[in-house]
Amino acid sequence: MILVSTEVVHGRTITETLGLVRGSAVRAQHVGRDVMAKLKNLVGGELDEYTKLVAEAREQALDRMTAEARARGANAVVGVRFTSSEVTDGAAEVLAYGTAVRLG
Amino acid sequence: MSERAPTRDELLAMAYVDDELERGAREEFERRLAAEPVLRREVSALRRLEVLARSAAPPEIEDHEWAALARDPAQRGTLAAGWILAVLGLCGLAGYGLYALGASVAPLVVKLFLGAFLLGGTALFLAVLRARLRILPHDPYRDVQR
Repeated sequence: MILVSTEVVHGRTITETLGLVRGSAVRAQHVGRDVMAKLKNLVGGELDEYTKLVAEAREQALDRMTAEARARGANAVVGVRFTSSEVTDGAAEVLAYGTAVRLG
Repeated sequence: MSERAPTRDELLAMAYVDDELERGAREEFERRLAAEPVLRREVSALRRLEVLARSAAPPEIEDHEWAALARDPAQRGTLAAGWILAVLGLCGLAGYGLYALGASVAPLVVKLFLGAFLLGGTALFLAVLRARLRILPHDPYRDVQR
């Protein structure tokens, strides 16, 4: 499965467009990591607990989008984008979406 | 890393994770997956590896500093002591709160409602914890760092 953020895959031809595919994930850390992150807020620097949290959600959203594309018979997703929002405090929501296509 | 040749099931699991099985073989494998915990663990481990490989970022300058800090006895000791004291304090406060409530002149019905609330909250927490622990070995995203 080829995933690209561009509208075309260089050197390949899109033979069929299969529509929008998306995957989202909302994940939370356990309270221990939350406490440490809040304490790090006092001194600054990277909140690696939350970096990890967002990365987990990003990978899961990507996998769900890919699974939907595969179920439609696609072999690539073009125009892949990520977006995020805040559903609840201390959780990360990531939505990955793109257009499933079949490449010749 | 083992040097032995992969078994047929391990090869099948790899092909399954890489989406290389034909439809019939895939369905047959999924039937086995539903019935065989060993196979499920194998697939989970491969999925974790796949996710890790995809999300692996080159090391950053500060990575070795973080690693050194995590190994530092003073840092580890401070963290451990901090957590132990915080949890002990929290448990003590909760225990004292319960004792104070029991000894208070609050009406029995209030005590019963509060007891039911605490018991219900504990039961819900245990249910959530049980579900998380059940899913944890099959969660391929828990090792993703950034």
